Amino acid sequence: MKKLVLQFIYGVVVKAFLRIIVGVKFDNGKFLLNEKQFIIIANHNSHLDTMTIMASLPRQLIHKVRPVAAADHFGKTKFKEKLSNYFVNTLLIQRKRDKENPANDPIHKMVDALDKGFSLILFPEGTRGEPEVQQPLKPGVALVLLQRPEVKYVPAYMKGMGKAMPKEDSLIVPFNCQLVYGTPQIISHADVTPILEKMQHDFNALQEKLR
Amino acid sequence: MEKILRLDFIENKDLRIVVIVIFGILAFATLLFFVVGKLKPQANLAELKARTKSWWIMAALVLGATLINSTISYVAIALLSFVAFRELYSALGFRESDRRAIFWAYVSIPIQYYLAYIGWYGAFIIFIPIVMFLFLPLRMVLKGNTNGIIKSMSSLQWILMLTVFGLSHMAYLLSLPDIAGFSSGGRGLLLFLVFLTEINDVMQFTWGKLLGKHKIIPKVSPNKTWEGFVGGIISTTIIGYFLGFLTPLTDVQVVFVSFTIAVSGFFGDIVMSSVKRDIGVKDMGTSIPGHGGILDRIDSLAYTAPAFFHLIYYIAY
Repeated sequence: MKKLVLQFIYGVVVKAFLRIIVGVKFDNGKFLLNEKQFIIIANHNSHLDTMTIMASLPRQLIHKVRPVAAADHFGKTKFKEKLSNYFVNTLLIQRKRDKENPANDPIHKMVDALDKGFSLILFPEGTRGEPEVQQPLKPGVALVLLQRPEVKYVPAYMKGMGKAMPKEDSLIVPFNCQLVYGTPQIISHADVTPILEKMQHDFNALQEKLR
Repeated sequence: MEKILRLDFIENKDLRIVVIVIFGILAFATLLFFVVGKLKPQANLAELKARTKSWWIMAALVLGATLINSTISYVAIALLSFVAFRELYSALGFRESDRRAIFWAYVSIPIQYYLAYIGWYGAFIIFIPIVMFLFLPLRMVLKGNTNGIIKSMSSLQWILMLTVFGLSHMAYLLSLPDIAGFSSGGRGLLLFLVFLTEINDVMQFTWGKLLGKHKIIPKVSPNKTWEGFVGGIISTTIIGYFLGFLTPLTDVQVVFVSFTIAVSGFFGDIVMSSVKRDIGVKDMGTSIPGHGGILDRIDSLAYTAPAFFHLIYYIAY
């Protein structure tokens, strides 16, 4: 049931809304069907980001992909948590690491979700920040990929989302936005810093493509 | 069912002729480029072919929306305005503090088209250039950020003028009262306007390509020539004369109206070109293959629609 609900919401309703009203130009997500499992990493400017990536996925994948979100924001109340869990299929994590208690540790939780067969959507900037300004990438994604190096990561870049719906403003003002995907790839380093540098490089290349 | 689908255009001879002519021209163009492409494989026809293909889709959409059901026509033109507004607004770079005013500008689109729908002429004609033009700057002022506010105020008003107020005259054509002995009605007028405006674009382009030598306004639009301009006006006026049966006008009036459409279409075109030149893009987007964005196709309509509407309104209503 949840699978059908998610497919209907993102594959039809959200997609139509984003395309016709907001003015999002989607990249074709069909190529993701060739990957067994992946982590989509994307720049983060708006609440619309998650919606856009979910809506761009091929319909048969939607229920298998979980956006990673901060528990302090989306898990504030039990109701909000249930809501975002059911309708966005989120994986809630806390922002700080917790090595003593693996059930609470964000890295452990993400690796666990991968082991259960889910793919993930991650925003390595951590927060939406100022509209259309990129922030330094946080190491979490690299730590997860180091533990499961066989999983590919897919860079995605969105332009204009922060104009359509910036942080601190819940009013959507339609603005022509665009989403592009890069090619899926496997990490080629054993250290966090070069991995993050490579990802930043991928983001910059996609940003250039949209210019 | 009869209310949703008004298929009387199949019985209405005047409208039927136009539909056949439009698809005839498109079929001819498609065939022509296909044959030329086979005879001269080195000729670069990719853009022309993409354009023709897009014309098929646009023609089908416009004819479908105008002829099948007039309520759908209002919604379709409003949607066109909305997309054009969004395209231009996204390209122009507003301040973060303008978002509330922009939102209200979006809200004005359905209101303007509703006024056209109910045919309240007085409100329709003042709503954007008076009510909105006074209200939107105020909304920006209330936000308190005065840095660059003049640019934001005037850009927003000009976007509304080009993409909403101008185009909404197309919708109001459908609300004009019936005239005895004139069977094609508002739909005929709308078809006449859109067909003539687009054929004028095509004619100016074609004559410019064939004979173009003397640039008319090189700093704004380097491809526009006097030959294209004059050739376009003459062809459009002649074609307009033969399509006169779609309007309630006399022959002399039709010639004059067609001439006005041709000239104002050119004006709309170069005004949009200058906007594009200022923000440094060639086309407004990539939504229509071969044509650029929506705005690149309807730029002329922003000028021809009000010009045509008010002429018709003055002469015949």
